[in-house]
Amino acid sequence: MFYLLSFFWNDWLSITMPRHQLIQLPAMLLLGILLAYCFSTLAIQDMYWGIAILIFIMASFIFWMLPHSIDVAVINKHFNRVMHINMLLSGFLLILVFRKIFFEVKILFLGMITAMLLASGITLSVFNMLLCSSFSIEQQKQTGLYLIFIAIALFIFTAITFFSYLRNRSK
Amino acid sequence: MKKIFIPILSLIICTTILWKWTFGFNDFTIFSYTLTKAGKTPREFPTIQLVNQQGNVFNIKDKHKYILMNFVYLNCPNVCHKVNNQLEKLYHLIDTNIAPSQLEFVTVSFDIKNDNIEKIEKYRHYFGENIDGWTFALPYQIKEQAFLQYLQNIGIWAYKMPESNIINHAIYLLLISPDNKIIKTFDPARESNADIIEQLTQCLQEK
Repeated sequence: MFYLLSFFWNDWLSITMPRHQLIQLPAMLLLGILLAYCFSTLAIQDMYWGIAILIFIMASFIFWMLPHSIDVAVINKHFNRVMHINMLLSGFLLILVFRKIFFEVKILFLGMITAMLLASGITLSVFNMLLCSSFSIEQQKQTGLYLIFIAIALFIFTAITFFSYLRNRSK
Repeated sequence: MKKIFIPILSLIICTTILWKWTFGFNDFTIFSYTLTKAGKTPREFPTIQLVNQQGNVFNIKDKHKYILMNFVYLNCPNVCHKVNNQLEKLYHLIDTNIAPSQLEFVTVSFDIKNDNIEKIEKYRHYFGENIDGWTFALPYQIKEQAFLQYLQNIGIWAYKMPESNIINHAIYLLLISPDNKIIKTFDPARESNADIIEQLTQCLQEK
């Protein structure tokens, strides 16, 4: 799958911004998550390592959301591959951390990701200025709109998870 | 100690990378990044030969005037024409004692493949007759790749989208001094004509 996404379909996925940001990037993350499920015994045991890795994952997401990074990733194939590996690694490490870390930290992390996606989505959809030179302004707005939808979906998921946890705990 | 140190170290490393990548959390797009990377103003304006709408070859440094330079391409779907419309207004708002005697406008097309002297001459007519101090030009005898590299060196990012004739590019205006230095850059998307004129006048008074 990694080969297909990173090599075989890469040109097709890099043509438009929604494909690049909403298909390729999450697909790589998902692949990392699935890979982590193949190693069910692996987990980050220490809280401080867990937080350090979550900071790394968060920074990775921020980095690949920057218009400058998106442009360089589309133009430079090597840089694009770094993005793929980084996302794969982020997904993999995320599950290893989530296996042992406090529930509150998980919720906080998901909340921060939701806020970041929402902020990025709003920025992309309301800016009438081209932010990424590799794509068009229409694609930019479309990507922004879908990012807002994803953020809302993630927010609902986080809220349901949080309140289910509270209900179970009170029982 | 270790428990605090490791997350803090991770935070410092990640923040440093993001800080470096955005030139101190200032440049988030490739357009502004390229401009900042080109260096602080005043900086040397690299020599390039241009050919104007009448077919005459010239060099910016031989003008011995202040030059306000911008880059466009004629097949641009809208932004280039918007910028040039703004420049037209700007040109007519500037004191006639300044333009064209001390300050000239130069609009350069970077679409070497599709634009030619005839097209830029015709295009220039859209901005009226009374624009003696506004030259439309093309790069002279330079290959496309070399010109794109030249643009990056002066702080202008341009990217030709594959499978289309669209060139996404920065719209910054460069103010070049008579001693061939870029002394100021303007962003017409963020700065009003009044602000640009005020800064232009200030620069000319400081000479």
